[in-house]
Amino acid sequence: MKGKIKIGQAGTLESSDVLVLVRFSPRQKGIDIELESPSKKCFGKIIIKKIEETLNLLGITDIYIKAQDRGALDCTISARVETAVKRALNYKEEEEK
Amino acid sequence: MHYHTIDIHNKPEREEIIEFLQKLGLGYEKDIEYTIALLDNGKIIGTGSISGKVLKSIAVDPQRQGEGIASKIITRLVKEQFKRGRTKIFLFTSPNKVEQFIGLGFQLLALAEPSYALLEMGMGGIKQYLQDLQKYKFKEINKKIISAIVLNANPFTLGHQYLVKKASLESDAVYIFVVREDKSLFPFKVRFSLIEQGCKKFNNVKIVDGGDYIISNATFPTYFSRESERDIVFAQASLDINIFVRYIVPTLKINRRYIGNEPYCETTNIYNQVMKKILPLSGVEIIEVSRFEKEGEALSASSVRDLIKKPDFAEIKKLVPSSTYRFLTSREAEPIIKKIKFSDSRH
Repeated sequence: MKGKIKIGQAGTLESSDVLVLVRFSPRQKGIDIELESPSKKCFGKIIIKKIEETLNLLGITDIYIKAQDRGALDCTISARVETAVKRALNYKEEEEK
Repeated sequence: MHYHTIDIHNKPEREEIIEFLQKLGLGYEKDIEYTIALLDNGKIIGTGSISGKVLKSIAVDPQRQGEGIASKIITRLVKEQFKRGRTKIFLFTSPNKVEQFIGLGFQLLALAEPSYALLEMGMGGIKQYLQDLQKYKFKEINKKIISAIVLNANPFTLGHQYLVKKASLESDAVYIFVVREDKSLFPFKVRFSLIEQGCKKFNNVKIVDGGDYIISNATFPTYFSRESERDIVFAQASLDINIFVRYIVPTLKINRRYIGNEPYCETTNIYNQVMKKILPLSGVEIIEVSRFEKEGEALSASSVRDLIKKPDFAEIKKLVPSSTYRFLTSREAEPIIKKIKFSDSRH
């Protein structure tokens, strides 16, 4: 696995959705979540908690996630995270640049 | 409504996009590699394009604004970038559209009024780059003169070494930023390593990866193209320097930049002019060093490349440090030398 990264994405930037970008890399230790959201101040913590919950259910411990939120509901967030993760796991492995 | 991937090599299709953009006062540049259109009943209502890591030429029919069409187009382009393995996304637009794209989750990197704005989204980003820079930072706090040099070094010559030596002697600390973009005949890794070897003896010099933020396809695309309009080069050079001033200068406390004067290349010349205009305003002094001369002629990396073409290695030996010469005559250099012989690229 040395030097391999896997990336995946799901969702859109349209209103009430979230675009989730994920990356697995051998260097990644732990769960790293970066969130951009117009409602970050009010709901940032809740959104991040939801993402973490979803990752726990999937058994993921080391990942980098960038979530570009546009006001998605909880169920949307976890669906997008799950899809992005599964796509990344099926990603054809590429040399790390 | 449906998406249509434009066959950019098909003239009528391309012309249709160009016409749509022109009506909105936008251009369609030659370096575009992918274009998508959103059609409604066969009529274009929006479009967007990709060039390297950068999204550009994004436009929506003014009568259809407010329907979320821009976000649809951007989403498609972001996914296309992911397919290409690109997780870092830049966007070129005009300053009056910045607010709209911030609403979609982009962050503004820099403006070059009146025509250009550069935004970014995705993984990593300027924050990550600045964090990485911290690792290179000189530890001691009593440094007074901290200089920066930006080198493409394609390849590293005695001229570059002379510039570094002068900066090293006159400064407490020197950062050399190496242009990362792999659009030069010598690949990044080779250019970086030849600089490293050629600067070993200067102990107050650190060599840093210029990343996406110093003369890259995102900040300064026309740097790598052969012919460009003066105005465009000027605007992009300003964008590049604005990013340098806004992020890199404060992170490393840089207060001086060394540049080589430019007798040959118009693009670099404009870049130098822009630096002279912007940098002193931010407390960064410019030291312009006359080119290292060999037998009355200013030395440049392109003259070395010309000698490789000939080939005249005896002459090259006089123009490059021994480490560069060793590389050029090694087996590892063979494919690069072959490429140079068949190329007429400016870089």
